[in-house]
Amino acid sequence: MSAEAEREAGAVDAACALFDIPMRPEWRDAAIANLKTVATAARFVAAFPLDDEAEYAPTFRP
Amino acid sequence: MSAGSIAADIRAGRTTARAVTEAALARIEAANGAVNAFTDIVADRALRTAGAVDAGERQGPLAGVPFAVKNLFDIAGLPTRAGSRINRERPPAARDAFLIRRLEAAGAILVGGLNMGEYAYDFTGENCHDGASRNPHDLARMAGGSSGGSGAAVAAGLVPIALGSDTNGSIRVPASFCGLFGLKPTYGRLSRAGTFPFVSSFDHLGPLARSSVDDVALAYDAMQGSDEDDPMQVARPIEPVGPKLATGIEGLRIGIEGGHFARGGVPAAHEAVARIAEALGARQTVEFPEAARARAAAFVITAAEGAALHADRLRTRPQDFDPAVRDRLIAGLAIPAAWVARAQRFRRWYRDRVAELFEGVDVVLAPATPVSAPLLGQTTLDLDGVSVPLRPNLGLYTQPLSFIGLPVLTVPVWPGGTLPIGVQLIAAPWQEELLFRVAFDLELRDSGR
Repeated sequence: MSAEAEREAGAVDAACALFDIPMRPEWRDAAIANLKTVATAARFVAAFPLDDEAEYAPTFRP
Repeated sequence: MSAGSIAADIRAGRTTARAVTEAALARIEAANGAVNAFTDIVADRALRTAGAVDAGERQGPLAGVPFAVKNLFDIAGLPTRAGSRINRERPPAARDAFLIRRLEAAGAILVGGLNMGEYAYDFTGENCHDGASRNPHDLARMAGGSSGGSGAAVAAGLVPIALGSDTNGSIRVPASFCGLFGLKPTYGRLSRAGTFPFVSSFDHLGPLARSSVDDVALAYDAMQGSDEDDPMQVARPIEPVGPKLATGIEGLRIGIEGGHFARGGVPAAHEAVARIAEALGARQTVEFPEAARARAAAFVITAAEGAALHADRLRTRPQDFDPAVRDRLIAGLAIPAAWVARAQRFRRWYRDRVAELFEGVDVVLAPATPVSAPLLGQTTLDLDGVSVPLRPNLGLYTQPLSFIGLPVLTVPVWPGGTLPIGVQLIAAPWQEELLFRVAFDLELRDSGR
């Protein structure tokens, strides 16, 4: 397993421990793969520069 | 037959609400085995309501029109299953969802609840508990999701109007695959009270209709109204679109989405947009900046909020989820808060840039889906020569729009062959009227076929 995959596997395992999820071995790979997809999306978003003052809208009004 | 025609015939005494309701129930009985649209049929209730309409106790613009709702809407007396195995063990709902009450106050007749992807985390209409909704135009193909039963029921002619929910595209994807009109109003326009949530930041409700955009307008106008039970509803006056339908489109600035929305789909998706653009005389290209990143941010927020909503059920009953949903929700529990906060901050930036663009254009056109209805069970798509996972990519063009709550009306186009595909009409927040005027104009020109 690559270092990146190990990182996401560790995050899934930690989340299951924190939330007391009775993870079965046969579900684990799919959950890790899904977190990897989310991580790719999150890094893409994070690569966009935003000022520190760019707050989000707590009550969203379009 | 359109909802408007049904109501007119009943008003004129050419038929009765009972006869219309009995005919709808008979169609459901005959066809539901094939399309698998309905999970619950409330025949006794529907016939009682029809009796009240015929007795003159219920009147309104939709008097006698049958409709059905995605099964995440509360229907009094039924558990709100939300496409799940777990929720169908809940106690029956004590009252109807707000939008059901509004439609019935306008005389419409609820006939049942509709199949959907589990907990609305879906674009396919497949469901491991209730079976897949099937596309009436080709039963081997997807109806789209997550409002798959809504798309299948309306496209099969079982009811003229159905309600769905749309978090990332779940009204617009089935509308596209099933050849229907589908409205996702502005975020905060219609009350969501009495429906099972998914992602509060993006959840919308709206109607689908087959025959005419006028039917969408009838339903939308009837459902507007303030409701303190939805904390995210925005205080707005009721702004009916029905009286404005025939206003015309002269002077409207209509653009065509470029950039993200011009890439990735099969030729039919872009040909459909070109056909609508030509009919409207649209030439201007508009590019929402960073739309691909907007989609990515919507993906992150969806995964995190969805997981947070279901954390307790994941702890106690993970084996009872649809596997395709469970695996994504477990992953969502591992998402750092910093990723979500970043995505929400980006969301505001994107909203502001898109608002600036709408100073120079009134309505923008974009494909609704990158493909027409895929085969049931299909798991990949070929987009621009690259094989990509099917499930997330069905929302390629819908997700960047619901992300910032823009109103979108999907109109059907038949580019040739037997399968339809949708085009999204997009406007600035609260400008639903413009969408309806454009769609009505297209209908007059018969541009979709």
